[in-house]
Amino acid sequence: MTGYVLEIVQVLLALLLAPGLVGFVRWLKARLQNRRGAPLWLPYFELRKLFGKEVVMSNNASWLFRVAPYIIFASAVTVTFLIPLLGARLPFDNIGDLLVVVYLLLLGTFFLALAGLDPGTAFGGMGASREMTVAAIAEPTIALAIFGLALGAGSTNLGQIVSATLANPGLALSPGYLLAFAALFVVTLAETGRLPVDNPATHLELTMIHEAMILEYSGRYLALIEWAAWLKLFVFFTLLANLFVPWGLATTLTPAALVIALVTLIIKLAVLGVVVAVVETRIAKLRLFRVPELLGMSFVLALLAVTSSFLLK
Amino acid sequence: MNDVLFAQLSTLGSSLALLFGIMLLWRRSLSAYVAAFQWQSAALAVLFVMIGYFGHDPELYFVAAFFFLLKVFILPHYLRRMEKRFGGERESQPYVNIATSLILAGLLVLLAYAITRPLVLVSTLPTRGGLPLAMGLIFVGLFVVVTRKKALTQIVGFLVMENGIALLAVLGTFGIPLIIELGVFLDVLMGFLVMQVFVYHIHGTFESIDVDQLNELKY
Repeated sequence: MTGYVLEIVQVLLALLLAPGLVGFVRWLKARLQNRRGAPLWLPYFELRKLFGKEVVMSNNASWLFRVAPYIIFASAVTVTFLIPLLGARLPFDNIGDLLVVVYLLLLGTFFLALAGLDPGTAFGGMGASREMTVAAIAEPTIALAIFGLALGAGSTNLGQIVSATLANPGLALSPGYLLAFAALFVVTLAETGRLPVDNPATHLELTMIHEAMILEYSGRYLALIEWAAWLKLFVFFTLLANLFVPWGLATTLTPAALVIALVTLIIKLAVLGVVVAVVETRIAKLRLFRVPELLGMSFVLALLAVTSSFLLK
Repeated sequence: MNDVLFAQLSTLGSSLALLFGIMLLWRRSLSAYVAAFQWQSAALAVLFVMIGYFGHDPELYFVAAFFFLLKVFILPHYLRRMEKRFGGERESQPYVNIATSLILAGLLVLLAYAITRPLVLVSTLPTRGGLPLAMGLIFVGLFVVVTRKKALTQIVGFLVMENGIALLAVLGTFGIPLIIELGVFLDVLMGFLVMQVFVYHIHGTFESIDVDQLNELKY
């Protein structure tokens, strides 16, 4: 029973912390660029503002345009049920493993691309085609990278992967894990629309990928889509943190263990936020035709992770 | 315990060497290739020292020292001089584009695993885990030679293949006797100087080091 309550708490925590994480990364980037930066809680106010605004839709938009934000938000929320956020083994682990997580993320991306195409604008079509170019190489790489871990743990169940790493700490420094981490880090930058793949703060259509697809949205639809994108960033950071450095996750459901899990999660997310902010400040955005090269490199890293975990047993 | 640590460290060193080799397929500029080659040779020299320590073979310390001197200082010095003279050209149109060649590199490493599988199963050496990676490095070096157009890139690819062969020898047999290794180094240096003369003449004839231009000699 407490397991299920913990799952719901986990999802609410993710929904609550995701805008804060994005606000932290933005503030850090501003500081690194010698600006004062907006406070961490600005994204919460953005959400409140958007939920209060009226929706304006194009006449050419169909039912898909109205339904897509809910599907995108729902798929993002469902993923947070299945990842190890606070606890290592949770009841919903039996429902969803690695492949379900990857396909849920892809479902959100797919409907976002369709929603970009739906109103028939030029920006939406361009954003959708660019997003599919990135997703086509990034999604198999996520699957392969976590599969490399799964081979070491003997199961694609995320909870079991975490337990295997906790039971055998030497695994965390094996070449398979390091290569998978590198691959997953590059894919995180690609899938969440960060530099060098996509500029999250751009206003130029030449450099837009994610922004171009959501250009037509307003009001509560835009709020849901933005929240889902922030949730996706939170999910990727959590996967990076808790699959590769699982110490701190609660193995028993006592309040003390859960508090420790929460504190270590926040620390790990903050460290990852710092790394991503520094990377984004240092690197320039890649030309669009160079993006498949970067993603190809991360695919090779994931492939090497799988072969070194599988064939070196 | 010592054996397990030895195996893990040798696999880690070989993976690092292979990754630097795959950088040649990812980056475009000649200075990036030279830097990748330098880092790879440095990693291999450290690996040789470590294998010499764990495998109780003091000859490997000298081999590592010569290896370091030749491939981290002498050869990159000449490569950089050539690059300053003929460089300024990036590998913009290889025969196989970069994304495809990266995927092919992954498949080549899988092929290397398949080929060396009987050898790894039979061997009892603690370094046998790195054998497929060394084989993969040889394949990747050969792939760079075959699919790149700039003569300097082909030279760096050849040198990476040489690194792979040296790695395979050290992993498979705990190193070859010092005298043979010195002979191999001399061969590499001579081959490199001959290639340098070739690049000088190609540049003199065509004003570019694009080996595709050599096709014009047919007509």
